[in-house]
Amino acid sequence: MRPNGTAAHAERSGVIKFTNCLLVKGKELVNDDLWVSSATGKILNGQEILYGQRTAPDSIVDLGGRILSPGLMDVQLNGAFGFDFSLIPEDGAAGYSKGVQRVNRNLILRGVTSYLPTVTSQRPDVYHTAVPYLGPSGASRDPSLGSESLGAHIEGPFINPAKNGIHKIEVLQTAPNGISDMLTCYGASNLASPPVKLLTLAPELPGALSCIQSLRERGIIVSIGHSDATYEEAKLGIKAGATKITHLFNAMKPLHHRNPGIFGLLGTESSSISKPYFGIISDGIHIHPTSIKIAWNAHPDGLILITDAMRLAGMPDGTYDWTNGSRIIKKGHLLTLEENGKIAGSSIELIDCVNNFLNWTRASVPEALKAVTETPAKMLGMEDVKGTLKEGADADLVVLDFQVGEVGAEKKLVVDQVWKFGVKVFDRE
Amino acid sequence: MRLIIRDDPQTASKYIADYIIERIKAFNPTPERPFVLGLPTGSSPVLVYQNLVQRHRAGDISFRNVVTFNMDEYVGIPREHPESYHSFMYKHFFSHVDVRPENINILNGNAPDLEAECQEYEEKIKRVGGIELFLGGVGPDGHLAFNEPGSSLKSRTRVKTLAYDTILANSRFFGNNLDQVPRMALTVGVQTVLDAREVVIIITGAHKALALQKCIEEGINHMWTLSSLQLHPHPMLVVDEDATLELRVKNVKYFKSIEKVANELGFRQMLPRKRDSVVGDEILPAPLPQRNGLQLAVPQQDMSRSASPVLEPMSARISDEEANLQAMDALDDPKPIPMSARVVG
Repeated sequence: MRPNGTAAHAERSGVIKFTNCLLVKGKELVNDDLWVSSATGKILNGQEILYGQRTAPDSIVDLGGRILSPGLMDVQLNGAFGFDFSLIPEDGAAGYSKGVQRVNRNLILRGVTSYLPTVTSQRPDVYHTAVPYLGPSGASRDPSLGSESLGAHIEGPFINPAKNGIHKIEVLQTAPNGISDMLTCYGASNLASPPVKLLTLAPELPGALSCIQSLRERGIIVSIGHSDATYEEAKLGIKAGATKITHLFNAMKPLHHRNPGIFGLLGTESSSISKPYFGIISDGIHIHPTSIKIAWNAHPDGLILITDAMRLAGMPDGTYDWTNGSRIIKKGHLLTLEENGKIAGSSIELIDCVNNFLNWTRASVPEALKAVTETPAKMLGMEDVKGTLKEGADADLVVLDFQVGEVGAEKKLVVDQVWKFGVKVFDRE
Repeated sequence: MRLIIRDDPQTASKYIADYIIERIKAFNPTPERPFVLGLPTGSSPVLVYQNLVQRHRAGDISFRNVVTFNMDEYVGIPREHPESYHSFMYKHFFSHVDVRPENINILNGNAPDLEAECQEYEEKIKRVGGIELFLGGVGPDGHLAFNEPGSSLKSRTRVKTLAYDTILANSRFFGNNLDQVPRMALTVGVQTVLDAREVVIIITGAHKALALQKCIEEGINHMWTLSSLQLHPHPMLVVDEDATLELRVKNVKYFKSIEKVANELGFRQMLPRKRDSVVGDEILPAPLPQRNGLQLAVPQQDMSRSASPVLEPMSARISDEEANLQAMDALDDPKPIPMSARVVG
């Protein structure tokens, strides 16, 4: 039983122990250690490693009391770093694939370790070219590839022309023949999971309810959005199998006390339906902070913060060419059209959404982080793999510095480090 | 018996943590010659572990060459169970310090052959040369490890049925459901603890006062197994004021005065060079005098006090080695040579 010196430690186990950190666990920040493996890219059970495998960590990472959270997840990102998921570049599929890879490598530096690349309403040929490149990209578990797509989010074109937002009206469709219309639009091989994870549609359109059922059978999660549905129509969508609302409040009927619309789904649960998850763009432009707080209070376990950002996200401030000869001015995360100053989409980063949410709702740090980790993972049915620090989940992690200024000043989480599959891929220092 | 009295559990725990660290440092352990530490679980030791972890994080102490043996473990609950002593030790100590996993020893309450597991445990302790310092706690009924009232004072590591009181007390950790509480445990024996070269016990809280009184002021009694420490050459009890509630004022003052005088004169616990433990006859150099940490600072003055005599049969003093040496000397004596031999030819 005499310890035999160095022999047992000759080969490296790849076990890393994070210590002196606050783990995001449920509603608490827990002062505890986290063990991960850089070999398997997963979170370990430290006790089992110690007693069962008799392995000591290769390296111990002292986080100096900072917060260790699951990596951030964005379930609605239209583009970033100059690339638009809905735009096939001039060099076609090859250029598109490179563009996606570029987004992945840059996005992870902002703390977003997995996301759903989102394609807005387009003509069928765009889906046929783009969707095959947007499927889950984490199979090789290679940290150097950057952020990981969990599958595509297809937003439209089966949406209501009355609530099109910035989607082009001329490409919108209905599906009177049910799923076969959708198959024609997206391409038969694309309408499956993988590559598609989430699909936004308007449930009040002809054929939509039968589509929802067929999509669920194909493993695709259905979200209600860009919809003029009444509360009753939306409820039918939920009954048919939809489980989410796409950017709540935006591109839908506003709440009216006699006709609550889609927002009404966040009311009391009934025996037949459960409250859906809902995306919220907390950029300070799309929704009033109080509305966000009302929605959060109505269904705290359903709130998912999204950026809905477009291709100028992550780009430096300046003036950029836009479609049809118009130009967009980017200042901070605010985008306006040069000619008339109109709001032209969002370019906010996900961590800033979290910070806004923190300051507007007085949510605790774990509650705010839950909206970009645990809740989206649950919505995607991936709560054992992503968005959690549970044993066996992927070691996608962010180290956050919580900066609390003076009383009344804004609180701020800053991404200090990013780890993907147990390997550090970003460090601010 | 040394009795160290501190104002509260915090300072008592800090005293023990500092003491253990000092002991390990003075021992200067190496991979070949590790420091062997016996460890308890329970509420009183938690603060001791906190102090040890804190000092480790500050870079004051490494446990890389420390081998640990835990006192006990329940039978029949999974290792991962939050109330298992494996979980306790992981949570409070092992996950925070650099004890090598292969140097951690905790009884396996799920071993297929529990008796063999206990025997092997004793063997393991012997193979590393015995336990240098056994840290322990005590139950309100005076139990040491799971050696509950009535345990043999000669007992060794074995399967033990828990007293009804203990099962009742433990039920709060198992959803107040008596059926969930383990009824058996594996535990080191009283003699296993007594074999350690040094025993340090933490006792805090008024509910432990009677146990302390029985151990200090009354005789050795198997109904208060802690009292068996009266037979140990180097026991030290570190207690808080609350734990002294049942003691005579005179005795409390006496022990306080001893510590005061000892500190003034610059000596504290002094260990003999010869190991008292029945296991490990090898002579280990015990560093003298004991150096003190900041909290326990004493002058450098070396006021050596004679160590407790090692009681051995007289016959043991004549070792075989000495006998051989005498024989050698005899052979080396010049041999008388007969005169006739000097005549050549």
